[in-house]
Amino acid sequence: MASYDLQINGQTYTVEAEREMPLLWVLRDLLGLTGTKFSCGEGVCGSCTVLIDDEPVRSCITGVAGVVGKSIVTIEGLSPDGSHPLQKAWIDERVTQCGYCQPGQIMNAAALLKKNPKPSDEDINTAMGDVLCRCGTYQRIRSAIHRAAQEA
Amino acid sequence: MSTKMNRRDFLKLSGVAGGGLILAVYLEGCLPGANTPTVVPVTMTPSPTPRSPFEWDADIYLKIDNAGILTFTAFRSEMGQGIRTALAMLAAEELNIEWSSVRIVQANADPRYGDQLTGGSVSISTYYDAMRLAGAMARQMLAEAAAQGWDVDPAGCSSEAGFVIHPDGAQKISYGDLAELASKVARPAQAQLKDPAQFKIVGTALGHWDAPGIVTGSAIFGLDVRLPDMLFAAIARCPVFNGSFTKYDDTDTRAIAGVKDVVALGDRIAVIAENSWAAIRGRDALKVTWDEGSGATLDSQQMMQKARERLKKTDKPGLIEAYYEMPYEAHATMEPMNCAAHYHDGICEVWAPTQSAQDVQRAVARVTELPADKVTVHLPLIGGGFGRRLQTDYAEEAALLSKTVAGPVQVVWTRADDLQHDFYQPMAAQYAYTTMDRIAIPPIRVANGGGVPTGAWRSVGEFTRAYSEQCFIDEMALAMGRDPLDLRREIYKDDDRALGVINLAAEKSGWGETLPARQGRAMGYFATFGVTHVADVVELTVDENGNIRVNRVVCAVDCGKVVNPDNVIAQMQSGIVFGLTAALKAEATVKNGRVQQSNFHDYPLLRMDEMPLIEVYIVPSDRRASGIGEMGVPPVAPAVANAVYTATGKRIRHIPVKPDDLKA
Repeated sequence: MASYDLQINGQTYTVEAEREMPLLWVLRDLLGLTGTKFSCGEGVCGSCTVLIDDEPVRSCITGVAGVVGKSIVTIEGLSPDGSHPLQKAWIDERVTQCGYCQPGQIMNAAALLKKNPKPSDEDINTAMGDVLCRCGTYQRIRSAIHRAAQEA
Repeated sequence: MSTKMNRRDFLKLSGVAGGGLILAVYLEGCLPGANTPTVVPVTMTPSPTPRSPFEWDADIYLKIDNAGILTFTAFRSEMGQGIRTALAMLAAEELNIEWSSVRIVQANADPRYGDQLTGGSVSISTYYDAMRLAGAMARQMLAEAAAQGWDVDPAGCSSEAGFVIHPDGAQKISYGDLAELASKVARPAQAQLKDPAQFKIVGTALGHWDAPGIVTGSAIFGLDVRLPDMLFAAIARCPVFNGSFTKYDDTDTRAIAGVKDVVALGDRIAVIAENSWAAIRGRDALKVTWDEGSGATLDSQQMMQKARERLKKTDKPGLIEAYYEMPYEAHATMEPMNCAAHYHDGICEVWAPTQSAQDVQRAVARVTELPADKVTVHLPLIGGGFGRRLQTDYAEEAALLSKTVAGPVQVVWTRADDLQHDFYQPMAAQYAYTTMDRIAIPPIRVANGGGVPTGAWRSVGEFTRAYSEQCFIDEMALAMGRDPLDLRREIYKDDDRALGVINLAAEKSGWGETLPARQGRAMGYFATFGVTHVADVVELTVDENGNIRVNRVVCAVDCGKVVNPDNVIAQMQSGIVFGLTAALKAEATVKNGRVQQSNFHDYPLLRMDEMPLIEVYIVPSDRRASGIGEMGVPPVAPAVANAVYTATGKRIRHIPVKPDDLKA
């Protein structure tokens, strides 16, 4: 066990953890930030995505020791009040069904828009292709990303 | 004159004003059946002094507080199908309250709500009228309270947007100001329902009420439940169904930081730890000797062969016939199975993402040996159900474990646990046959496998049936040299709802228009559970390597009266994607008694880049509202198989259709 200072959503958190402990479980079980979801545990579904220095990262396969000193943003920190253009677009396009994958979808989309403010459908396919939704909300996710890109 | 009488004026007029005084108010029920005069104390504090919170429990569904907020108690499980929103819309509609004033909370397991089992897509058809009645009753009681204050005939009062309006049309008073008075009013004997032509909420496109919490990460799903001092558990289950363990060595497990305990739990072994990761690692480090039992020889391929052999063939002249094969399907909810439980002081509380809170209550009572009334079942949001969460296994594990370790525990399933210990959609071999002179839905015989746990999977046997039936109708059309659409029109000629969706989907799809080479267009139609009619026209491309790209799905649906048209569209989109995953991608196979798939790399779901454009058209209808949660699933898989045929000339009679089936 070692002590790690993490920069999450603009705040510093100190956690005691094994160095390989995935950031996902640090967030969920040590810090109570449960907005980041566990689904596959192997980096193949995207539900656990957070931003690390603006890059979309699968927190379920990212050890805590490797993210010290980096800027970590989770769904809870994307905006103070749900006002991020993507969060608003998700509401306006009525995307959510069960909603479990949506924090990961939104974080992946946020990373996409940071790099590419006006993504094409093909850009969305590339960036979002590995983010799974069993409810099948993809069509609305696509619309919401386009809407957020227009309104941002 | 003032168009809005303030609360103080109203209370003066109504004779109940006074700073914190307790006044006796004579309330006379003036609706039929409410004729018992009652003397009740009313405590009031006039505006603008802040009032202490007051909440009127209009009934078991509706509460209105003195800020004018309607709290709707949802009593069916929300797993993405939008039921919390839809039920609340019906009540809010009759209540004449603005949607922005509605809050939704979730009922625990509670028999006052009837059977809360949320399956079969029956919530709306069962509760459409009941929710309207509840809202109407509350509206009438608020009007009655206002009428008493104004000393007017309540029949002359109307209501709008959270206010009761005086017969003069000018004065009005808010529901918030009326809540306490309404709580003293006798329930009307009869509800007066609104004219649907006046609906302002029902029939409008609303997003799910839960969405803001979901997009900010604050919504609490089962796995997000956190209790003080809660421990986390991962469980080793025999990889072979119905097997057990003979012994285990937990030396390595106990050496893992954070692992607190290892306990046997019936036929399985639980590792309890300070966090989920330690629990999962600890579980994976167990050295277990399994007694696999008789299930160790199960093999789904052999089962299919045997099932097919069991299907009795028909020998008739002029017969056309076909066999169709459907695999086991897993639910693969994005939120794996889980449950939190706290057994303490002779009670057990569970936080179960479940589709059947009362079944969980009974199951937990059984395994913990408590009376059912000592078991409280809380319902968090559910990260996908699709029938998997009609089972109670995850909750039994959590409750028993909490009792064993005497503390709050959350049981966490990994993706492999979830895919390999499911209650699967049954595999099925089917035999369809008909004589050429018979223009009708074909007879179909079904044979299943055995030994693998099975359960409800979104649309259950309707999915199986629709595949063989709707594929075979296209095969009949081919044999007869007829257009499959024309043949369907003849087969369903006496069913106007079937024809309605078939014709609408055909028209919107551009049926009959020529497609480029290697593209196909075809239809599937089904009335799932006989109530909601859905027709899909699928357009797809098959490339020279056999890869199928579904380009477009045109869906027409008739579900009777519509509560939330946007949610009907969403559920059709959802069902189509669910059906496409089964048609093209995923299956659960069993070998040596084990499900072979362990994660999304080998149980692949349809992805964003594979997503077709889906268009949904709703047939307007005044018939009884029927379900939508499952009904989008059955028609699409046969439409895919039929379109593959039109694109390639190859008739595929199994799912999933794979590129190897179609290589040129």
